[in-house]
Amino acid sequence: MMLFERPEVDVWGRRRARMVAGVMALIFTVIVGRSAYVAMNGPDLVSASARPAAIASVRRADIVDRKGELLATTVPGWSLAANPSAIWDAGEVASELKKVLPRLDLIGLTTQLSDRKRKFVWVQRGLTQEEKDAVFGLGVEGLQFVEEARRVYPRGKLAGHFLGYTNIDGDGLEGSELAFDKRLKAGGEPLQLTLDASVQFVVEEELERAFADFDMKGGAGIVVDANTGAVRAVASWPALDPNRRGAEDASVKLNRALNARFELGSIYKPLTVAEALDAGTLTLTDRFDVSTPVKIGGATVKDPHPLPNAKSVTAGDVLAFSSNVGAALIAQRAGVDRQKNFLRSLHLLGGQSHEGPQTASPLTPEKWDQTAMATVSYGHGISVSPLAFAMTYTAFGNGGNYVSPAFVEPIDPARVEKTQVMKPETAQAVLGMLRETVTRGTGKNADAQGYEVAGKTGTAEKPGPDGYDPNKNITSFAAVFPASRPQYVVLVVLDEAQPRTGDQRTASYTAASIAGRVIARAAPLLDVRPVLVASKAEAASLRGSEATTP
Amino acid sequence: MKKLAIIGVFVVVVMAVAVYRAKLGAEETQGEIDTLKAEATSIGKDIAVMKAEEAYLTRPDRIGPIARQQLGLEQATPRQYVAPEALSRTLGEERLTLPAVTPDAAAPAQDAGVKPAQ
Repeated sequence: MMLFERPEVDVWGRRRARMVAGVMALIFTVIVGRSAYVAMNGPDLVSASARPAAIASVRRADIVDRKGELLATTVPGWSLAANPSAIWDAGEVASELKKVLPRLDLIGLTTQLSDRKRKFVWVQRGLTQEEKDAVFGLGVEGLQFVEEARRVYPRGKLAGHFLGYTNIDGDGLEGSELAFDKRLKAGGEPLQLTLDASVQFVVEEELERAFADFDMKGGAGIVVDANTGAVRAVASWPALDPNRRGAEDASVKLNRALNARFELGSIYKPLTVAEALDAGTLTLTDRFDVSTPVKIGGATVKDPHPLPNAKSVTAGDVLAFSSNVGAALIAQRAGVDRQKNFLRSLHLLGGQSHEGPQTASPLTPEKWDQTAMATVSYGHGISVSPLAFAMTYTAFGNGGNYVSPAFVEPIDPARVEKTQVMKPETAQAVLGMLRETVTRGTGKNADAQGYEVAGKTGTAEKPGPDGYDPNKNITSFAAVFPASRPQYVVLVVLDEAQPRTGDQRTASYTAASIAGRVIARAAPLLDVRPVLVASKAEAASLRGSEATTP
Repeated sequence: MKKLAIIGVFVVVVMAVAVYRAKLGAEETQGEIDTLKAEATSIGKDIAVMKAEEAYLTRPDRIGPIARQQLGLEQATPRQYVAPEALSRTLGEERLTLPAVTPDAAAPAQDAGVKPAQ
C-alpha cells in the first residue's frame, strides 16, 4: 500500500522556515541598523524634559565698563521655601522665622503655612548669607533653601541710575538692565559699556561734594567723547544703589541725566550764535546795544546784570558775559524758522534714537513765534534732558558735526555717524568764544589749569504753577576741552543749588566750579594731556632762555 | 538553514551585547561629563563670587582713601607733566634746588608730587 501512496511533502514546514528566516533577517537588519546609527550618532541620552532646564539656567551676562571693570554680575543666591504639609505648628514656625527675617508678613505667612494641602510656598526670596545662616540655625522642619541666581552690583551706587536693576527673577526693570535685557538674558560675553568707572566716580564724587557746598535738590553730570559720542560718565544725584532694587524714594530713583527735563538757560546762547553765524546773519565783528531791555514779540528781554561796554558788544561779549538781550537780538536776525530747523538738526526737538537707555522727550513751545524765539535763544521755554543737550556741544568739539550718544563698546571711530550741523569755521569760532567766556567772562571758576576749558554758564529760573520762581534756579555749565584740540564735552546741571557760604546762586559760582573740578580730575583719567607749552613762540622763548643761561 | 539561523542568532546576541556595552559606556561617559560640568559650573559660580568681591573691594570710594593714606598717592596734576621743549629747563631748575643731583635722581620728574609712605 505504501508503494501507491503519494510521498508527503511538508510544504508548510518550508514556508514556516522561510517566514522565521525572514523575521530573523528583519530583526537582524533593525538591530544592525540601530547599532550603526548609535555608533555613528551616539546615544540620545538628554531627555526632552531636561532641555528647558538647561535653557533656563543661562547665566545673565555681566556688565563691565570700557576697561573691563565689573559693574554688574550674577552670583549664586538663596531663597527660602516651605512645605506646609510637613509643618505641624504653622504659627510657631512663622513666629520663629519672623525673628530672623524681620521683613516677613507674619499673618500672611501663618496663613500660607497652615494650608496643609500645599507642598511648596515661598517664604522669602533673595536671602543674604547671614539670613540663610540664621534660618539654618533655627533647625525648623519643613523648610528648604532653593539656590537662585542673584544679580549684584559690586560697586554699589557707582553708575546706579545708568545700570538700573532687575527684579528677583532676573528681568531688567530699569536703566541698562532694561534697555539691554534681551542681550543680557542671552548670556555669553559681558556687555561692555562706554562708561569709564573712574571718570564716573569722579563725576559722582564731585556731585556729592557739590551737595556739601550747596544746598541743592538734585544734579546731573555727563562726560562725552566729542568725536565718537561715547558716553564716559553719566551721573545723577542723589545716587541710587541698584542693589536695593528700587526701594528708594521716587526723587532718588529719578535719573536726572536722562529722564528729567530742564530749562537749561544760557548754555543755549552758543547755539544761537552758531546758528546765526552759519546762516550768515551774524559776523564776528557785528556789534549790538544791550544796555536796555528789548521787546521782541510779547517778551521784554533784559539782562539781570549790566554788561561792560553794553552799548557796543560783539557776539563774543554776549557769550562771555551772558547777555539775554544780545542772544535775543542775534536770534531775531536769523528768524524763527532757522532757529527751529537748527535746534531740530541738533535733536533738541526730539527724534533722537540710540542704542541703550532712552532720554526724556523734550518740551517745546506750543506756538513757536517771535516771543518763543526770543526766550529759546537764551534757554527758556524749552526743556530737554541733560544728555540730549550735552550732545549738541559735540559739534563745537569736532568741527561742526552732531554725533549721537553711544553707550556700548566697541566703537569704530571711522564708522561713527556724523551729521554736519554747522560749518567747521562756525564751530571753531564759537569754540574760541567759549574759551574766552572761561578766561575773561562768567566761566572763570571752571578754568581747570592746563586743560583749556571752553564753556558757558547757564542760570535759569525754575518754572512753577505761577510762572518763573526767581528764588529757584537751574544752574548749568556746558564745556568742551581742551580748546586747542577738543576731545570731550562736559555738562553739569544743578537743581536749586544754593551756596551755603552766601555766594550768589548763579552758575558762575555753582555749576562752573563743579565742572572745573570734574575736568581737572577726569582729564588725566581720559589720557588728556595738559597744555603745557601753548605756542611755538613760548617754546622758542624757553629754548632762548636756555641758550642764554650760562 | 539551521546553521544560518544559529549564526544569525549568535550575531544578534553579539550585537545586542555590543550595543548594551556601548550604551553603558556612553552613560558612564555622560555621567563623567555631567560631573565635570557640575564642577565647572560650581567653579564658575565661585569665580563669579570672587570677581564680585574683587570689584567690591577695589571700588574707588574704598581704594581712593587707602591710596592716599597708606601710600601717599595723589592724582597727577598738570604741574607734573613736562613738555619735551621744557624738559631740560625743568631738570635745570631741579638741579638748582636739589643739593646733590645724580642722573638717576633727576630722572623721575613725574614722581615729584608723590609723598613718601608713612
